[in-house]
Amino acid sequence: MPVIELSHISKRFGKFVAVNDVSFTVEKGEFFGFIGPNGAGKSTTMNMMLNFIKSSGGKIKLLGKNVPEHDLDVKKQIGYVPSDVRFYPQLRVRDLFRYTLDFHHMEGDPAELKRYCDLFQIDPQKKFGDLSLGNKKKVALVCALIHHPELIIMDEPTNGLDPLIHARLFRVLKEKQEQGVTIFLSSHNLKEVEDYCSRIAFIRSGKLIGVEDLTQVNQNVKVVTVKADQLPIAVMEKIGATCVKKTDHEARFTYEGNMAQLFSTLSNLSPQLDDVTVANRDLEEQFMAMYERQEGERL
Amino acid sequence: MTLFRLECKTHCKTLLIWMIVVGILTLGLVSLFPAMKDMGLDQMKAMPKDMMKAFNLSDLGMLTTIKGYFGYEYQYVMLATGIFAAMLGTNALSREESEGTISYLFSQPISRIAIVGEKMLCNTVLYTLYWLVSMAIAYLVCLMFKETGASVSDLFDGFTQLTFAGWVMGLTFLSVGFLLSAFLSSNKSATSLSLGLVFLTFILGVVGKMNNDFKGLLYASPVDAALPSTIFKSGIEWNYIVTDLVVIVVAGLLTFWIYRRKDLNV
Repeated sequence: MPVIELSHISKRFGKFVAVNDVSFTVEKGEFFGFIGPNGAGKSTTMNMMLNFIKSSGGKIKLLGKNVPEHDLDVKKQIGYVPSDVRFYPQLRVRDLFRYTLDFHHMEGDPAELKRYCDLFQIDPQKKFGDLSLGNKKKVALVCALIHHPELIIMDEPTNGLDPLIHARLFRVLKEKQEQGVTIFLSSHNLKEVEDYCSRIAFIRSGKLIGVEDLTQVNQNVKVVTVKADQLPIAVMEKIGATCVKKTDHEARFTYEGNMAQLFSTLSNLSPQLDDVTVANRDLEEQFMAMYERQEGERL
Repeated sequence: MTLFRLECKTHCKTLLIWMIVVGILTLGLVSLFPAMKDMGLDQMKAMPKDMMKAFNLSDLGMLTTIKGYFGYEYQYVMLATGIFAAMLGTNALSREESEGTISYLFSQPISRIAIVGEKMLCNTVLYTLYWLVSMAIAYLVCLMFKETGASVSDLFDGFTQLTFAGWVMGLTFLSVGFLLSAFLSSNKSATSLSLGLVFLTFILGVVGKMNNDFKGLLYASPVDAALPSTIFKSGIEWNYIVTDLVVIVVAGLLTFWIYRRKDLNV
């Protein structure tokens, strides 16, 4: 049973369509990435999932229950980290943890709380309003974790975090994932999405461009960069490579085909090449390729 | 009741400040009574009758008794009380969206109905506390400065009725404030809306008092339903109180209805 099930959801604000017919599912225990440029509709989609706003159409099911009808049951099992963390500034951090546990009717484990505070270097005695952006984010992360949710939804969770805390956060999230927790990560940081997510959904202008399995896609598609005075574009295109970038003496191709054929072609071309590299296509390149393809279709 | 506790903690400082300020103001106003009652009222008699009616000064003789003097002076504290109650209401829901705390609150397992309900309950308790303390201070101060021969039991009766009528008045502003708060997605305009609400309804009451053709406007003025001078003189006017109670119930129900359907500004 999918933990997140969006089917044909849309959201209109007057005439403006912020999210248009978006459907995807996320399975239990998945580390799922949700990416797209600014204003693509990521936050609007998440706001609908959390019932901050009502959808204009379609169905949302979280943990097997319809939202917003079973909103309360669902939220008992969700941890949420907003992109802009604005909690009650007058409260001390320890009070925020206490209130979070109280909302979930839980006592909480002081040892676990201490572990999180130590791990993320949080001073629970400080007032939330006195914290830096990064520290506020850390408090939000702990608030999203302390009630042991089955689903963690995070909107740009690493903004403002230093590399050490960033690494620790993902270590904790990986631990959670191994325990069967589903993680839904919206991020602009494609590197972290690529490093941790098994699948991703691309969204642009409110439309879902695609859902990709990162374990498959990055191994199948290669990026070939050649440097030469005379670029072998025609030869490369003949074997099915697509030129994605070209300067006077350098060209970049994506190739999704027989590797033996690729290496044989490069070998034949080697006398005229100054340099050649073959690498797995990273998410950023895939992201750009998808967007450029979309842009081309739009134009 | 976690939100109830959170809301109480958020407002306890504001509540304390209002109680101290109103307490000092009451003490200051009533302490002038002994000096005021010995002053001649001839200058005030020169004021146009309509104006005196508008300012609830139609019976100048009353100003020489503690009940009459307090009843006149305290109407301005009643206005401030109305503003306090309206501000509690208009800020209650909109502040969460304006300050962004709604993203924390609404990601917790709490329904929209519970958010409105717990906030209403908390703000009602806060207002009740404020009003009871204000009335207790006012009663004690009046006992301290009352003229010789003034009846304590009569004063107590008057204060009992005023406490009830003023409580209903505040709850009326609180509930209308809540209704406005359900529409607002920012509390930037909450203070001006609260002031506007209280002064507009007060002015409607003034117009109602000055012109018999517009007497019906008095029903739109919660302050007039709880005017100390009227209550001390002729007791509670139940038709106004019933109107206020109807407004409280309707505004409360509408708040729940609107907030359930609202797209939150996160």
